[in-house]
Amino acid sequence: MTAVVETKDLSKTYGNVVALDAFTHTFEQSRIHALMGKNGSGKSTLVKMLSGVVQPTTGSMSLNGQNAVFKSPRDAFEANVVTVHQELSLVPELSVAENIFLGRLPKRTIFGIDRIDWKSAFRKTGDLLDRMGLDIDPATQIKTLSVGQQQTIEIAKAMSFDPALLLLDEPTSALASKEVEMLFTLLRTLKERGVTMMYISHRLSELAEIADTVTVLRDGHHIASVEMAQSSSQEIVGMMFGDVARAIRPARTARTGSGDPILQVRNLTREHAFDDISFDLHPGEVLGIAGMLGAGRTELLRGIFGADPVDSGEIIVDGQKVEAPSPRTTTGLGLGYTPENRKEVGLVQDHSIHNNLSMASLRKNAPGGFITKSAERPGVEKQIEQLHIKVDGSDDPVSSLSGGNQQKVVIGNWLNTDPKIMFFDEPSRGVDVHAKQQIFQIIWEQADKGLSSIFVSTELEELLDVCDRILIMKDGRLEGELDPAKTDLTQLYAACMEGL
Amino acid sequence: MQLAQFFRRHPMEIILVAMYLYLMAAAPGFATLDNQFNVLRNVTMQGIIAFGMTMIIISGEIDLSIGSGVAFAGCVTAWFTRELTPFTGAYTAIAIGAVAAMVIMFCVGVFTGKLRQHFNMPTFITTLGLLTVLSGAANLITGGFPITSFPYQFNFLGSGFLFGIPFPVYIFVAVFGFVYFLMNYTSFGRSIYAVGGNLEAARLSGIDVWRTKTLAFGITGVFTAIAGILIASQILSGSASAARGWELDVISAVIIGGTSLFGGKGSIRGTLIGVLFLGVIVNGMTLLNVSEYWQYVVRGMLIISAVLLNHALEKSAKT
Repeated sequence: MTAVVETKDLSKTYGNVVALDAFTHTFEQSRIHALMGKNGSGKSTLVKMLSGVVQPTTGSMSLNGQNAVFKSPRDAFEANVVTVHQELSLVPELSVAENIFLGRLPKRTIFGIDRIDWKSAFRKTGDLLDRMGLDIDPATQIKTLSVGQQQTIEIAKAMSFDPALLLLDEPTSALASKEVEMLFTLLRTLKERGVTMMYISHRLSELAEIADTVTVLRDGHHIASVEMAQSSSQEIVGMMFGDVARAIRPARTARTGSGDPILQVRNLTREHAFDDISFDLHPGEVLGIAGMLGAGRTELLRGIFGADPVDSGEIIVDGQKVEAPSPRTTTGLGLGYTPENRKEVGLVQDHSIHNNLSMASLRKNAPGGFITKSAERPGVEKQIEQLHIKVDGSDDPVSSLSGGNQQKVVIGNWLNTDPKIMFFDEPSRGVDVHAKQQIFQIIWEQADKGLSSIFVSTELEELLDVCDRILIMKDGRLEGELDPAKTDLTQLYAACMEGL
Repeated sequence: MQLAQFFRRHPMEIILVAMYLYLMAAAPGFATLDNQFNVLRNVTMQGIIAFGMTMIIISGEIDLSIGSGVAFAGCVTAWFTRELTPFTGAYTAIAIGAVAAMVIMFCVGVFTGKLRQHFNMPTFITTLGLLTVLSGAANLITGGFPITSFPYQFNFLGSGFLFGIPFPVYIFVAVFGFVYFLMNYTSFGRSIYAVGGNLEAARLSGIDVWRTKTLAFGITGVFTAIAGILIASQILSGSASAARGWELDVISAVIIGGTSLFGGKGSIRGTLIGVLFLGVIVNGMTLLNVSEYWQYVVRGMLIISAVLLNHALEKSAKT
């Protein structure tokens, strides 16, 4: 079965925000169509409408010339549109066959009682895997398979629905390169059998290999659709970002190289996370780490901070080697870390703003273990004032604050420890534009006061705006260094994807 | 308006006072000084442990072993008294026995904490196991019969009066004051809240989360031993069957006091109210000639209602 997908003036708005604006295009059948765009470009919205998760505000879609109105994922399903999501949805304890036919195992009736027809389930699964060219026993437990094999099972499951259109959302983000090859072989087989596919990915080099066409979206607008073979990666990245107006950096002198490094990382390695990482951080410097999802940026920060154990390598703070780093020892040495998922691990949501602002400085404020609220109050009030945290009272629960203000509480909690080195992991995630600017302002102000920081963000524009120096990380390794003053977004993006 | 706010903040206190007033009018003999001391004496032993249990529950853990722990500690004290009295005299023997009981129970608490830390062993399981282990150990020490080795003067600790007030009440107040201070004026107390509220956030903030939890268990172990010694004094023997089922009464008191079983939320003051609440209601029902079986039903319903009430008030406070 196969499908031509046509969209006409397809739009989706959320309140005042236009997620996708009058998208008109025809996706030809039996081809692999890449969808590209940075975060918020509208590509996920498009896929969500095709899979029935959200409904178009205006405009229409059609499959094989028939108008397609999907009120729910089930409707899309019945029109043979199947989605493979980024996260795996398999049950690890069950077999391959049970997973593929989850909730719809073949039954047969004996003496009026329905029972599962295991023979037929295994035979059907075996046939399906054979047709896809996969050599996996249908009785294998999912948890014994590699992540790559699991991903192919996920696609086999999708294939068991006999899709006309297969939507793939970053299917390779968790895969090693060998597994990616296996997946691509599979996708090519499916293409030969006539399946139309849409493929979302950030990995340009992979798309060049697998996709036939590429459709680029930016800020909800359809920029272009071109044949993959006739376009260079340079052109595609250019279309993704357009001419971006850069934020104006405050007049501050970059501190790169001034004085002895305050933090030295030497050959730091943690298996399956990062490999042989060495770099220096200088006093007053804002050092960025850029990389794609899964490059190992967060893992590296957590490793240096001692939140996760490392396998080998050295961490030297102020000329002193850190033995067996743990958050307790590294905070004692003047390190601080604002985690990327502040809601889950950055704050105690039920507790007061006061307590959240004085959590990391507990040791500092409690000589001999004794503490009073009044001893902590100056620090709490100082952060509320200096970081412009909007609060009614510091005894209110921190959960009553907006995302941006919560993030400032996380930062304030650390600034109260008078840190020498701060790690900011995605500090702008989930905060509004205004709060974002304020947070950058805080980072700059602290840098002028001598604080050294490492800044990790998925938003590459932010790295260019905020940092004095940017390290490029790819697949767990440091690829090199860029000077943000001499780098534009396209170059940075290309460096993250393809290395230097 | 202000009254509504007051009720919202202190629901259990108000219900306790209302119940108190009702019992003063309805239950014959409730308001006498003797009976008031009775109530106090009856709640002290469980109350002492409840203060420790509050720390454990706020830190996000649980201890189910304390019933057997109380019996075990009493038996240890009685055993030392019996074995050492010929050599050291009774008082020194009791003192050594009491200290030994406290040290052993502290170590049992630390053991629970260490299993949690190094083997990620749920404390529900460890302490459920210990409930049986300690009960067995108590029986091993006593050989199945109560050890009646104490001189009658020892009875003073559990049943005596000092300046007209039952002696255990002084210990109860001292333990309350101690834990209140710990929870509100030390970094340890603050760490307990943080660890129970969000373990990973606390760890990333440089708090020694395992030392905090382990210490809470150790301290509670000592309180359990103290309760065990007081009980042994009251019944003038070390009995392996003393304090059976106390763990549920103690946890009930903590929960009625508004502490969340999920950790991170609660207060020592609340537990004090919970302990008094249970004591008053049991005493009142007895005086009103309510059958013992009904008393169980009422106490059970009370726990459920208290939690429901707390949830409802919390919800309405948010909107």
